[in-house]
Formats: sequence, structure tokens, C-alpha cells
Amino acid sequence: MATQTVKMVVTGPFNSGKTQFVGSISEIDVVSTERKISSEAEKVKDQTTVAMDFGRITVDDDLILYLFGTPGQRRFDFMWEILAEGMLGFVVIVDSSRPETFREAKSILETFRAYAPTPYVVAANKQDVPDAWALDDLRIALRLEDGVKLLPCIAKEKESVKNVLLELLYGILEEMDSDEK
Amino acid sequence: MKGNLRDFSPTQILNLVSLAHKSGTLGVEHKEGRAMLSFKDGKLIFASVGDAEGSLASILARDGRISKDQASALAKRAEQTGDKQLGLLLIQKGYVTQQDIVVSIKKHALSAVNTFATWKEGPFAFDTARMPSADRITVPLDLENIIVQIARVQKRDEELEDEIPSLDIFLKFIERPQVKLKELQLSKDEWRVLNYIKPENTIRMIAKSLNMSDKQIRRVIGSLREAGLVELMQIHKQRETLSVEEKDKKRALVGRLINHFQSISAD
Repeated sequence: MATQTVKMVVTGPFNSGKTQFVGSISEIDVVSTERKISSEAEKVKDQTTVAMDFGRITVDDDLILYLFGTPGQRRFDFMWEILAEGMLGFVVIVDSSRPETFREAKSILETFRAYAPTPYVVAANKQDVPDAWALDDLRIALRLEDGVKLLPCIAKEKESVKNVLLELLYGILEEMDSDEK
Repeated sequence: MKGNLRDFSPTQILNLVSLAHKSGTLGVEHKEGRAMLSFKDGKLIFASVGDAEGSLASILARDGRISKDQASALAKRAEQTGDKQLGLLLIQKGYVTQQDIVVSIKKHALSAVNTFATWKEGPFAFDTARMPSADRITVPLDLENIIVQIARVQKRDEELEDEIPSLDIFLKFIERPQVKLKELQLSKDEWRVLNYIKPENTIRMIAKSLNMSDKQIRRVIGSLREAGLVELMQIHKQRETLSVEEKDKKRALVGRLINHFQSISAD
């Protein structure tokens, strides 16, 4: 039987935890195209994704889910539309402890919504750090509509990542059901 | 809730406090001094900024209700008795009325918030456990009007260009049943724009009808957004229509993915 592949995209601002998110759930080591960071302003980590992250989850002999993590820096945003093509849904990762990134997260969310009318969820990452904003405050700060799922997330924990992806899948089913109604 | 004003403007913070009906004290550090703004259920109840200290004696002196000498003497007394007792004493002695005190405190709070609103940088932290001491006289002030007023005077043309990149966008009202539009103090331009918000009107169409420039309409929409009254409706691609067979296939596929994830255990 031919193998079917489906795709989900993981996006969000620079250093929000996209690579970590994909890495926590992927059965393969995340294939990342990375380079050392040259900009002093972005020296919060040593490397960054310059093309995309690629993770794989084998569901069955005939079904594979691919996770594509987008590069977070704006100069690579030409990749976003390409990666969004044909996706089942997407996750926007936001670093809950860095309010300076919230505006960017909102902008990325709107950009992806414009690319493809697919379901999405917003993952409030780094909820384990002391300065993390509470979900209620984050929802208002991001100006999320009531129907948008905002989920607590700790990207380094597999269980947490699994729950985010499950909620996205539930959302896809809910949308299909509401379309039929 | 912590951050820096360079990433989150004062009006955005006040809007969040109002929308979330927060109680607690916002502390902000700035080169002009320290600001302490206290809130109860989303309303401002107490404020002090920089040298403009929030004791009753100093507030009444700045408002011209009592002299500076009287304020100094009363401040010493207040250290023993507290502001509430001091207020009662002043009313009993006929120096001020209760209304005088309320008006002066409101003026002081508004002045403090207006000063805070001009700050562009400085770390802030919201402490939900901290409230003014029990002896302070607090007067609740609705934030919506304050926010609209502050947002009105701030020039944010560059930020507005970024937030509203295109005028070919529609607007919608945000559901806030507790806010009574009739009681809001909006400018004539803000009311005019609100009257034109309909599903079929883009921002450009509203601007043309009201003879407003791109800058003017962006400022008005920006103020209304900051006050949490309206939001942009982004135009998105329509979902493709699937056949019954395609829907069933997709549903089955998503079902398989869900089953798989539900069976994954944490390592």
C-alpha cells in the first residue's frame, strides 16, 4: 500500500522553542539546517534554524506525519509560504516569558492564516519559567479571538508537545463537523 | 506579569488590567522615578509617580486645597493616624468637604497615569498580592476613558503603520457587555468612525466617507483598538470545499493520528 504523508507546521518568533518542540516528539533526530548566529542582538543561543526543522512521526505502515519547523528570523520568511503549502494545520509557539515577542507572534499568526485557512493552535511555551505570563493575560496581549485554542506548553516535555498536537487534531475534526452543520 | 515598557506600552498594560479585571499593584521603574498604580477589579484606585507622593496631605496641597505648611504638619499627624482618619478630621474641621477629597484624589490619580503613559522604557511588574495600605483613601476610576484619552494624545504613526499595514481591511466590534458605549467619552472623530463600522466597510471606505487622511484614520482606529472596542478583520483565503468522500477520508486520517498520539506515553 502506498504510504500517505501529512504535514503540520510549527512556527513562531525567534527562540520561542520551535526546534525543541519538534525534537521532543520526532522519532528521528530533528534535521535542522543551522548556522552559528552572527548578530550580537540575537545571541541568546548559539545556533538558529536558517531553512527549516524537519521531524517525523510514523503512525502506521502507510501513514507518516511530518513536522516542519519554520525559521524564526524575519529574513527567512520567504520560506513560510512554501512550508505552509498543503499543511493539515499549524502550531504557533510563543515564549510566554518574553513579552517583547508577542507582537511578532501575532504578526506571524496572521501571516500564516492568510497563507492557508487551516486550523491552528497557539502554544504558550516555557510555562515552567518564573516570568511566564499566565494564559489569561497572554490571550489578551495576543488579541486572540475566543475560539482560538491557547495551550500551556513546555516544549522540552514530550507529553506536553503531544497534548498540543492532539488539541490541534481535535480542532481539525471540530472544524469539519461545524462545516457540515 | 512582568516586562519592559519598550515592549509593552503603558496603554496596552492598562487595557490588559481593565479587560482582565485585575486587582493588585503595578510597579514601574523609570528615570523620572518609580510609579505605583493600584487596581481593584480592573479599576484604578490609587496612584503615585515619582516625587508626586500619594499621601492625602500632599495630594490636597498640590490641588491647592490646603497650604504647603498645613500639608507638612498634617503629614506628620497622618503618620500616626493614617489618611482616612486625617480626612475625617479635615472634613470635621471644615477645611475640605468629602467631595473635595474625592475630586483631588481623582485629579492626582489621572495626573499620575498621564505621566506614566508618556514613559517609553522601564521594567514593570504586576503584584497581585500588593494593595494600598488600609489607611489610604482609594477612589475607583474606570480605565476605559483614561485609556482612550491617553491613546488619543500619543503619536504612534510608525507603530500604526505596522499594526494596520493596509487600509483595505474590515473592522468588527469586540464583545464587551460590561462596557456601555453611551457612557464612554470618545472624541467626535471616534464616534464618527464607530458609526461607520459595518461588515461591508473597509477602513479605506470609512476614511473616504469621513474625509480623513490615512494618518488620521489610523490614529482613530489605533485608539479604538487600544481601548479594546474594535478589532481588525483579516481577510483569509476560503477553505476548499471537499467532497463527501474526501471529507470521510480526511476524518479517518485525523482519527488515526489522534489514536496514535493518545497511545504515546511520555518517555
